[in-house]
Amino acid sequence: MNERCAKLKDETKYMEIAGEVIKKAQKAGAEHSEVYFTASEELSIDIRDQEVETMKKANEFGIGLRVIKDQKVGFAFTSEIKPESLENLVREAVANSEKTSVDEYNIIPEPSKIYPSVDVYDPDLEHVSIERKIELAKEIEQYGKNFDKRVKITETCTYEDSKYLIVIVNSKGIESSYRGTFAGAYSYFVAEENGEHQTGFGMQFSTKIRDLNPKEIGIEGAQKAVSMLGAKNIKSQKAAVVLDPYVMTNFFSIIAPALTADSVQKDKSLFKGKIGQKVASELITIVDDGRMNGGIFSAPFDGEGVATSETVLINNGILQGFLYNTYTAAKDGVESTGNGVRLSSYRGTPEVGTTNFYLKEGKYSKDKLISEVKKGLYVTEVMGMHTANPISGDFSIGVAGIWIEDGEFAYPVKGAVIAGNILEFLSSVDFVADDLRFFAGKGAPTVRVSEITISGD
Amino acid sequence: MNRILEPSDAEKILSTALRNGGDFADIFIERKKGTGITCEADKIERVFSGLDVGAGIRVIYNGNTAYAYTNDITFDGLMKVAEEVSKAAKVSSGSVTLNLKQKDPPYSFEIKEVPDMVSVDKKVDIVSKANKAARCFDSRVKQVTVGYGDTVQEVTVANSEGTYINGKRVRTRLIVNVVASDGKHIQTGFESAGGFSGFELYKTVSPVELARKAAARAVLMLEAKPAPAGQMTVVMAGEAGGTMIHEACGHGLEADLVQKKLSVYAGKIGEKVAADIVTVIDDATIPNLYGSFPFDDEGTEGQKTVLIENGVLRSYMYDWLTASREKRKSTGNGRRESYQYKPIPRMTNTYIAPGSYDPEEIIKKTNKGLYVKKMGGGQVNTTTGDFAFEVSEGYLIENGRITAPVRGATLTGNGPQVLQTIDMVGNDLGWAIGTCGKDGQGVPVSDAQPTIRIPKLIVGGILE
Repeated sequence: MNERCAKLKDETKYMEIAGEVIKKAQKAGAEHSEVYFTASEELSIDIRDQEVETMKKANEFGIGLRVIKDQKVGFAFTSEIKPESLENLVREAVANSEKTSVDEYNIIPEPSKIYPSVDVYDPDLEHVSIERKIELAKEIEQYGKNFDKRVKITETCTYEDSKYLIVIVNSKGIESSYRGTFAGAYSYFVAEENGEHQTGFGMQFSTKIRDLNPKEIGIEGAQKAVSMLGAKNIKSQKAAVVLDPYVMTNFFSIIAPALTADSVQKDKSLFKGKIGQKVASELITIVDDGRMNGGIFSAPFDGEGVATSETVLINNGILQGFLYNTYTAAKDGVESTGNGVRLSSYRGTPEVGTTNFYLKEGKYSKDKLISEVKKGLYVTEVMGMHTANPISGDFSIGVAGIWIEDGEFAYPVKGAVIAGNILEFLSSVDFVADDLRFFAGKGAPTVRVSEITISGD
Repeated sequence: MNRILEPSDAEKILSTALRNGGDFADIFIERKKGTGITCEADKIERVFSGLDVGAGIRVIYNGNTAYAYTNDITFDGLMKVAEEVSKAAKVSSGSVTLNLKQKDPPYSFEIKEVPDMVSVDKKVDIVSKANKAARCFDSRVKQVTVGYGDTVQEVTVANSEGTYINGKRVRTRLIVNVVASDGKHIQTGFESAGGFSGFELYKTVSPVELARKAAARAVLMLEAKPAPAGQMTVVMAGEAGGTMIHEACGHGLEADLVQKKLSVYAGKIGEKVAADIVTVIDDATIPNLYGSFPFDDEGTEGQKTVLIENGVLRSYMYDWLTASREKRKSTGNGRRESYQYKPIPRMTNTYIAPGSYDPEEIIKKTNKGLYVKKMGGGQVNTTTGDFAFEVSEGYLIENGRITAPVRGATLTGNGPQVLQTIDMVGNDLGWAIGTCGKDGQGVPVSDAQPTIRIPKLIVGGILE
C-alpha cells in the first residue's frame, strides 16, 4: 500500500487494498461495507487542419466506500491512496452514516449466483500506436473536407479511447473485477455558403477500435452541415415529425428516468402504477440490456456487484416493469435488475440507471417512412434537450432539420421548437424504421410521430 | 496553508515538461474536499464526503497542446507526467531554467465559516429545514429533493512564465426541487442558491424561503395552461436570471470559438452588435458570487471585462493560449472543471448592465406578450447564433398587465438578432447561479440581467 503510483495492471494489488479498507471499515463499526475501485487510462486526440491541436493523456484511479450501520448508509471517496487518506475515508464514511435516516432497505448485495460473460475488452487498443490513432483522426477530417467544398471549418475531429479496470469487494463475499475498453471518434464541421454557417457532426463509439470507420464519421458530419445550408424559419403549425436515430436517443433523457424504480417509488414517474397498461404506441419496445453483445456499457456486474441482465421495459406499447438497483428492489420485494449504476464513478453511490438502453427497430426502411409523409419535419438537431422535464414529461425544445413535402426532402429548417408531453408523444408514434443505431449506451431507429405542435414565425 | 507543491519542485517539473522545446508549460494541482447531502422522500438519503487530488500538466508547442493528468501527485508521479507531455515537442532546446516567483492573489473574498470546519449536523439542519418548508407548503406537494453541496478547493498553478500562485476556493450551494401533482398533472419547481462563500451563505439565503419559492412554482404550474406557440413580444424579469444573455451572446464571445471562426461575433470588434441600450459585462471580481474567483485556473487574476458597451463589441474573453495567439494578455477567463481538463475560455459572472426603465413601466407598455419570471437552462449553437432556453415560470401579458400563468415554454431565437432588437432595459438586476457546460466541462457561473423587452421571439408552446 505504500506504493502510491497505481497501475492498471496491478489488479491483485487493488483487490488487496480494497480488502484492507473493508477490514478497517468493519473494525470501525460498519455492519457491512463495500469498496468500488476504479483505475483508467485515457487518451484523446483533437485534430484541426491536419494538426494535432490537443493531445490528452490521463491516468486516474479512485476508491469509493459505502458502509451500512444501524440501517443507515454512509459514503466517502478519495483519489489519494495514501494510508492516512484511507484511514480518513473509513472514518468519514462511518461518520456520514450516522447522519442519514434509518432505512431497512439499505442493503449491500450478496454475490449473484451466475455472472454473464461479456466481451468488453479490446486487446488491440494497446497495440495500435498513437501515430495510427492520430492518423485515424486526420482521415476523418480529410474525408469530411473532401466531401464538399463548402465544408470550410473544422471545429474538431477527435479520436478518444479508454482502458479501465473495475474492482468491487464487499463484506458479503463479493470480490470481483473486470476490464473494459472503448474507443470513439467524432467530427464537427462547419459548412459555409454566402456568409451563412451551418454545423454538423458525426460520431461512432465501440468497445473495439477496429469498428471505427473514419470515412463514415467524416462524411456524416460534413453531409449534415452541408444539408443545413439555406435553412429557413417555418410558420407555426401542427405536422408530422420524424426524428433521426440520434435525436430519438436524446428523448431517452425524458423517458429513461421515468422507467427507474427510484422515480416510481418517489412519485416522480409518469409510469407509476401503469404496469400491464398501454403507455405507448404498439410499435414501441424499449429494452435495457447490461450484457448486450458489443454494448459500450455491457459488464458482468453493475456498480454494486450484481449480475447484469436484459430487461424489457415496454413491450409493444405495454409497460412491463422498471429498472432496479439493490435498494429499490428490496423496497419492492423484487430482484435487482443489475442497474445499480455509478454515474460519477468512484465519486458516488450506485443509483438506478441505464446500461445499453434502446428502442427496438421496426420492419420497414427509413425511405418508406419518409415517402409516406405528406408534410412534416425531419429533425436532425435538438437544442436544450436538458431542459425537458422527465418528471412531468413536458418538453419544449429547439429543433432544426429538413422539411418534408409529399414524401420528399424539400428544404432545411432552423429555429423551430417542438413541444408536447412524452406520453402523448409515445402514443402518437406511427412508424419505427429498421435502422437501429447506437450512440454509446443509447440506441434508436428513425421514428415518426403523426402530429405535434411546431412553433415557428 | 500547506503548499501542495513547492516552487522548487514546480521549477523542476516545468523544466522537464519543456526539455524538448515548447512555447509554454504549466501545472495545475488541486486538492478538493467536498460534502454532499441529499434529502428525498422525507429522509436524509445520502451524506457524502470526498477528497479529490490530482494535477494536470500542459505543454504548448507551436500553438498546439499536449495535456496529461494524474492522481499521483508525488514528485516522482508528476515528473513522469512532465516527461510524457514533453514528448509533444520535437526540438531539443537544451536545458530550460525557470525561476518561479510566488505571486499573491490580487484580492480575496472573505470566508467566515469554512465548510470543512462546520459540523455535518449543521449542514443536515439546513437541508431538513428546506425539506420541511416545501412539504408543508401545499398538500399537492408530492416529492421534495433538497441537495446541499460544498467544496473547498486548494489550488496551485505554476507556469514557465514565472507564475506561482496558490489559493483556496470555497463554494457552497443549495438546491430544492419540488414535485407537485393534482392527480392529473405533475409539475416541478426548482430553486437554487450558491456562492464563492462559506457556510455564512445561509445568513443571507434562507433555506425556508428558497424551498417555499420552489414549492409555490410547482403548485402554480399545475394551474397553468400550456404556453401559446409562435412569435411574440417577450419581457424577461430581472429576477429571471441571465440564461438568455449567457446563451445568446456570452458563449459567442469566448475567444477559442471566435478564433476558430465558430462564432457569429468573430471579426466584429468595434462594430455595432447590439442595441445602444445594451452593455454586457463579465466580472469575476464581484465578491462572493458563484462564478467569482481571485485568480483563474491558469493563475491569471480575475477581471472585469466589458464585452459589449452601448451596443459596440469591445472584447472577447481570453485564456492564456487564445490571448497569446493575438499577442495580448489573458482576460482571466481560463477555467477548467478540474485537473482532468485543460483550461479554456469560460464565462464567470456575466450580465447585462441595468438601464433606465422602471420594470413596471416595461410591462405597462406591452400590450400583448409573454412575461418570463424565471428562466431555466439553455443552449446555443455559437456558429449560427441560434439559441434556445427554458422558461420555468411564465405568464401572459395582456393589455399591459400580467395575467395567466403558462407552462412548458421554450424561447428560441438568434443571438445577434435578439441583441439588436432589445428595446427596453430596466433599472433592476437579478442574479441566478448555474453550472455551465462546454466541451464536456462544467464550471460554476452566475448570470444576471435587468428586466428587458424583446419585441419578437419564437415561443415554443402548444397550438390549440
